[in-house]
Amino acid sequence: MRRLVEHALRAVFPSSAGIPGLDRLDFGARLDEVRRGPPMLRLGLYAATVLFVLLPVWTVFTPLPSFWLSPARLELHANRLAGSRIYLLRQIMLLLKTVGGLLWGADPEVRQALGLSPLGPDPGTFRGDQSRAPAGASAGAS
Amino acid sequence: MASAARDWRQHGHIAFQAGDAVALEADYVVVGSGPGGSGAALILARAGFDVCVVEAGPWRDPADYPSSMLGAMRDMMPDWGATVAVGDSIMPIVQAAVVGGGTVINSAIMVRTPADVLVDWRERHGLGDLFDERAMGDQHDAVDRELAVQRTPEGTAFGANNAMLIEALQRRQLDGNAILRNVQGCQGSGACLQGCRSGAKQSTNLAWLPEVIDRGGTVISCARVDRVIIERGAALGIRGRFRHPRSRALGATVDVRARRGVVIAASAVQTPLILQRSGLRLPALGRHWRVHPGAAIVGVYDQPVDMMRGATQGAASVHFRGGIGLRDGKTYAETGENGIKIESLSLPLELLAGRAAGAGHALIERLADARHQAVWISAVRAEAEGTCRLGLFGQPNVRYKPTQRDLRALRAGSHLLAALHFESGARVVRPGVFGLPAEITPDQLHLLADGPLDNRSWTWVLSHLFGGAVMGKDPQRSVVAPDLHVRGVRRLHVACAAALPTSLGVNPQHTILAVARILAERLANGA
Repeated sequence: MRRLVEHALRAVFPSSAGIPGLDRLDFGARLDEVRRGPPMLRLGLYAATVLFVLLPVWTVFTPLPSFWLSPARLELHANRLAGSRIYLLRQIMLLLKTVGGLLWGADPEVRQALGLSPLGPDPGTFRGDQSRAPAGASAGAS
Repeated sequence: MASAARDWRQHGHIAFQAGDAVALEADYVVVGSGPGGSGAALILARAGFDVCVVEAGPWRDPADYPSSMLGAMRDMMPDWGATVAVGDSIMPIVQAAVVGGGTVINSAIMVRTPADVLVDWRERHGLGDLFDERAMGDQHDAVDRELAVQRTPEGTAFGANNAMLIEALQRRQLDGNAILRNVQGCQGSGACLQGCRSGAKQSTNLAWLPEVIDRGGTVISCARVDRVIIERGAALGIRGRFRHPRSRALGATVDVRARRGVVIAASAVQTPLILQRSGLRLPALGRHWRVHPGAAIVGVYDQPVDMMRGATQGAASVHFRGGIGLRDGKTYAETGENGIKIESLSLPLELLAGRAAGAGHALIERLADARHQAVWISAVRAEAEGTCRLGLFGQPNVRYKPTQRDLRALRAGSHLLAALHFESGARVVRPGVFGLPAEITPDQLHLLADGPLDNRSWTWVLSHLFGGAVMGKDPQRSVVAPDLHVRGVRRLHVACAAALPTSLGVNPQHTILAVARILAERLANGA
């Protein structure tokens, strides 16, 4: 499933006009983080991915999974899904765009290409966290 | 209640515990540490009461705050921000799950409760003089002093996105101001949504909860409250359980016995759910759930705007708070309760991606000019009411559907913002409305004026939540009686946005703080 998710996100965020896309970036670690996230988010991402892969027959009238489409057909497929008259299909793309945007927009190469400052760290730490540096924490209390 | 096998009170703050059950006693247990919970806890602690605050999220300090939006959603929001309201469309709900609650991830906007709201609460909801202008004004004054509420000075820290909106409003002679914010020494890092790593934002985890601890109180973090213990019609304490913020592993149980009372301040989503899990069956519980649904309009300019620099939200207008109409391409103010609030909102690149139309190369092209984009939003003082109930698996089941009047207000507001963008020199506007072109030019502005009145065509975001356990004199319509007790349960109170009987048409933080402090003062005075 991870490969399918990567495929869908790369299709939505391809390299373009000198701006690196997810097809050129290493976003596996952050994607794994998302996949370890809440079950509802994971399920939503997987469901969106499966539909993205299966729906070329609907969008571009090609009975192939999306990963076998030519780049031009894949682009057309992604755009037709994003602009579908069916609300749920648009929501599927919104989810893929949101997750992909979180990965793509935080990437230092992308930010450099767009003239934006790189982001700082995401420590993920908290008071009482064993992996947190400052003193004062004991037995999970601080 | 389990007896304390260990003196937990020596710590002041108790984070995730995998082992021993945590059991302690306090005069008051406060559930939730956002503006309502922190405000109530502070006043009770200052009055000499032994206070225990229980928060579902972890306690993060500025050095722990994330820089990215992925980090913010992971570290600061319940279920990574995946909470949604469902009606005929799906709308994300912005909430926090961290010590300090919404004060950590909001844009630090402080707007005093409008006088018409207080009159409405008194006359239509029977709250008497409890929240009159003087009482609320005194609290607003105190909060302003304590949280360093001030306007962000113009200059680099203010940000061009904010300055441009003010100029655009002034050009039309509409009310528009720099926002009052509880920020001291804003550096304009454009990272309010991520918690402000510079520590300038005076969120309550920095400004108030340390004082609660200094005064002998306790903060328990990473502990979700399952229910209030109610026996013989009185709240005796709470029961909950730790959950690790990273692994989500369940930990020890938490029991806190309340000698004097329990104050629920867990937000308009969580407070109704806690009361439902506690066995309350009041007719109004989970109802009268309201919100300010909003949508963004993006202007693209020839020159860089660099909205990622400056205050995340620095400019606003309440000119159309009473109502907004649109006729022959002209917007006009109306009187009523279905208007909009206009604000600037500097979206991080990561979120712009979800907002831009299309996919693939077309999407990347619409993000390539991110530095040239300015984002302004209209938040509707919506008349729609929804419900918030326990879902099948214990998750929030929020049902909400903006009305046609709400949609008309949003459409008129969006049209106005697009016009303001063009008058400010925008090359194109990206309305983000399904059925309209991805980009419109000035001669296409009429398309937005005639835009679809269908919720599914708009990209709504729900912030500023109200209700679910509202105050009032009518037992059929309210959960909290005018004496500020939850109906039918002694020693149980609500001190967060869930109790607010109406939407405000302005940002609710200041109102929640004031209401919670008034409640706490009444408790401290023996009411």
